[in-house]
Amino acid sequence: MENDQDQDTTTSKPSGRPIWSGSITIGLVNVPIKVYTMIRDKAFSFRLLHDEDGQPLKYERVCTKDNKVVDWKNTAKGYEIRKNEFIVFKKDELNAIRPESDQRIRLDKFISLLSIDPVYFEKSYILVPDNSIDAYSLLMTVIRQEGKAGMGKITMRTKEYPVVVYEYKGALILTTLRYTDEVVNPGDLEDLSKLKKPSQKEMELATRIIQGLSGEFDITEYRDSYREKMEQLIETKMKGEVIVAQVPKKEEVKELMVALQETIKKLGK
Amino acid sequence: MDELTKVSFTNLDKVLYPGLGLKKSRVIKYYIEIAPRMLGFLKNRVIIMNRYPDGIGKEGFYEKDAPMGIPAWVETFNRYSKTAQRDINHIVCNNLDTLIWMANLAAIEINTTLSTIDNYDTPDLVFFDIDPQPPYSFDDVMDIAFSLKEKLDELNFRSYVKTSGKKGLHVVLPVINKYNFRQTREFVHQFGKFMARGSDIVVSEFRNSRDPGTIFIDYLQNIKGKTMTAPYSLRANPEATVSTPLEWKELKKGLRPEEFNIFTILERKNDPWEGLLENKQTLEVE
Repeated sequence: MENDQDQDTTTSKPSGRPIWSGSITIGLVNVPIKVYTMIRDKAFSFRLLHDEDGQPLKYERVCTKDNKVVDWKNTAKGYEIRKNEFIVFKKDELNAIRPESDQRIRLDKFISLLSIDPVYFEKSYILVPDNSIDAYSLLMTVIRQEGKAGMGKITMRTKEYPVVVYEYKGALILTTLRYTDEVVNPGDLEDLSKLKKPSQKEMELATRIIQGLSGEFDITEYRDSYREKMEQLIETKMKGEVIVAQVPKKEEVKELMVALQETIKKLGK
Repeated sequence: MDELTKVSFTNLDKVLYPGLGLKKSRVIKYYIEIAPRMLGFLKNRVIIMNRYPDGIGKEGFYEKDAPMGIPAWVETFNRYSKTAQRDINHIVCNNLDTLIWMANLAAIEINTTLSTIDNYDTPDLVFFDIDPQPPYSFDDVMDIAFSLKEKLDELNFRSYVKTSGKKGLHVVLPVINKYNFRQTREFVHQFGKFMARGSDIVVSEFRNSRDPGTIFIDYLQNIKGKTMTAPYSLRANPEATVSTPLEWKELKKGLRPEEFNIFTILERKNDPWEGLLENKQTLEVE
């Protein structure tokens, strides 16, 4: 967790370092870019402590057979085919099939951003020109003008993702997408297969309600009240139990400092 | 600040003497300034703090145990308490930082034992607590203290006096590490009985100690683990008095203990109790 206490409450500050760099490729055109994180997980994380003495606990790998601690170097990866039955993989075997990043985001199709079902959106990143201001600017402007998003793929940290690249607030944004088999088809849920057609009367009433409550999308209307309470709790605890010290008044401290110097001098004699 | 003390000050603004408007910072300042006269006496003695975190207008509390969150650099003395039936970790104030730390805990009154931790069972101080019951006059209290002093002088004992800071006087006799508390207690009791015989107002027995208008020579303070108000400790009363060591000749008619308070003590140039601990005597009478 980073400390974002002082920032305004509607947006997050950009992080300092790019997490990926390479280029966007469209046919034979290359636009070198750097990728910055756009999404911050603001959930609170806690360290697990020993309740008696407040010391942090560490995790250890313990063998389920003899309860002995096992060193990292003596571990292997197993794929569970049935309960407690594993296929064991060596590290080399796994490395051999890992996708390698060629440092390219290949865009092979331009589509309407609105045609993507939101359920496929995973995580967004900001793309920044890497000594390529002109090309970046051209790509961003044309995408904005056409109202299109480029479809393609990227390999990050040994995983390959489908992505869309589009314009948002004067920047190219890359959003990773989920694969089809990662998203459940609602039709597969039994309850949803028995839906009835509503009557016209019901429809009229419901339509009026919906229209009455219509408005613009404004995410700033929503706040994480649990997080706010948590922040308050942390603040109170910091004042009380954790750090007893409060910032004292300046002139009073000065006075005490003078008295201290005087006394220390006397005691030193 | 960090180079001068290990203590992190808290709530310096807290008013501890509401009548005088004295904040905690003023109390801490007092203990810093009085430290050179106080620390020598406190050395290696168990401290019991009388804390007033919400000021003297609210109830204070005695703290015998080292409180939670005590810094590692504060010296302590661990001892099994028969009354509490458990180990008690006492505070020992052997340096300026500890004194400041206590002041920061709003320990307005600092009390200390009559023995040191290296010889906990044998007191090095014999304590005569001259404790009057209203209605009394402080002039009478001084008279009684003076006649006690004369009696002690006759027997070649050198005695020291201080105001309790409240209504009484404390007379102290430094002694060599040889006697147990039963012996020192009996010694004081004998003097009390002797003086009670020659006076209408002196009482020597606990059962009479609450009689109106009497002055009790309280010998029962000479018990292992019991404490007396430390010399130069502030008291939790509206005048912010100080338990003040005096020269015997200062005990003159008309003197009032309130004259010695947080504002006036530091103007006193000499410490009448200086060298007290180097003057340890035997209790044997030749």
